[in-house]
Amino acid sequence: MITVNDLHKHFGSLEVLKGIDAKVEEKEVVCVIGPSGSGKSTFLRCLNLLEDVTSGEITIDGDVVTDPKVDINAVRSQVGMVFQHFNLFPHKTVLENITLGPIKVKGESEQEANENGRSLLEKVGLSDKADMYPDSLSGGQKQRVAIARSLAMNPKVMLFDEPTSALDPELVGDVLEVMKDLAREGMTMVVVTHEMGFAREVGHRVLFMDEGVIMEEGNPEQIFENPQDPRTQSFLSKIL
Amino acid sequence: MIDDFLNSHYIKVLPDLIPGMGWTLGLTLAGLFLGFILGAIVGLGRLSRFKIISGFCSFYVEVVRGTPMLAQILFIYAGLTRDVIGFNIDPITTSIIAIAINAAAYIAEIVRGAVYSIEKGQHEAGRALGLSEKQTMRYIVWPQAFKRMIPPLGNQFVISLKDTSLLSVIAVNELLYAGKQYYNVTYTPFQTLIMVCLLYLCMTIPASLYLRRLERKLDV
Repeated sequence: MITVNDLHKHFGSLEVLKGIDAKVEEKEVVCVIGPSGSGKSTFLRCLNLLEDVTSGEITIDGDVVTDPKVDINAVRSQVGMVFQHFNLFPHKTVLENITLGPIKVKGESEQEANENGRSLLEKVGLSDKADMYPDSLSGGQKQRVAIARSLAMNPKVMLFDEPTSALDPELVGDVLEVMKDLAREGMTMVVVTHEMGFAREVGHRVLFMDEGVIMEEGNPEQIFENPQDPRTQSFLSKIL
Repeated sequence: MIDDFLNSHYIKVLPDLIPGMGWTLGLTLAGLFLGFILGAIVGLGRLSRFKIISGFCSFYVEVVRGTPMLAQILFIYAGLTRDVIGFNIDPITTSIIAIAINAAAYIAEIVRGAVYSIEKGQHEAGRALGLSEKQTMRYIVWPQAFKRMIPPLGNQFVISLKDTSLLSVIAVNELLYAGKQYYNVTYTPFQTLIMVCLLYLCMTIPASLYLRRLERKLDV
């Protein structure tokens, strides 16, 4: 589904990604872990071109998205993104947040988008919040709305950028529950996370990143029970 | 006693001042309307990725803000004459242009600041959904930025309204000029100017109060 070849990213003279090669299969849940500043968020943001790539090639579902001629909006409309700080639109109701993309990008009718939006809200357990504004929701509820907003575009892949890092601990569970449901339904997901429990339970594969490269990758048991790289070992010993 | 007051210049000046008040208000609104359009263009221009556009817009703002409005008014009216541009500009047109280009420079900064103040994540969330740059601005950034522009735009209204008094130098019959005409004949500058200032306050205070209510309603 996603292939990344020798991806480099510079911010000015700082090289944040130093040659990333990765593959994500269809219906696979890949968790990216690593210390802060390791480039894992930047890596994720390169996948839907929120950061422009310095060099390298990214292919999503057969389309070379790093090709300058590619329709960037079309690519993004098929790649859902959930942000650490939710980034809901505060001037729109919960339902409008969800229907904006489908109406404006995919040209769905308002009625169609509303019906679809309400069923997504039901799915994330917030059907009673449709007409409220994001400001009146808790962090966990906001993030579930943000997930519903991405799902409304019917994406082929979902990217999660530390989706629970800004949440109070007691609200994390609900969001992870929604993500687990998605994984069970066969959504292809790339998740940058500090939730090792989630990575272990739901992830099919775990990438450990440090200093702009993928130091180690493998299935969760390998990474968590028997890490090979000394830096993976030291990182995991600090947080587990 | 009451008769004395009604016969005083405080009251007798009013029939002369009321039309002046109308001109002041009308010129302010016309100038601000054009100024807002121009200001929005210049403000967004300053945010442009293209150095030529943003540079030109910054230049415009600096020139207008860095020179006295009185000099600008005289330049348009007395400087840009038939010899220079092929036609003369009448006082009313001069007034509207002067208010517009002046307000535009300040409004440009208001627009730029408001757009800039919208969290980067809003823009990213829009683009991540697949909205184009234009759609993201139109449906996400602009509506939020516009709300934040309302308080400073209200201030600008009050400032521009007071600035119209400078137009008295080119004999536009706005409020201050109307007052001057009156006291030059009656020799009653004290009474006249008190009434002129009271009438300015009659316009600026309700504007401020309304603005404060609007701010509360919009929760900015």
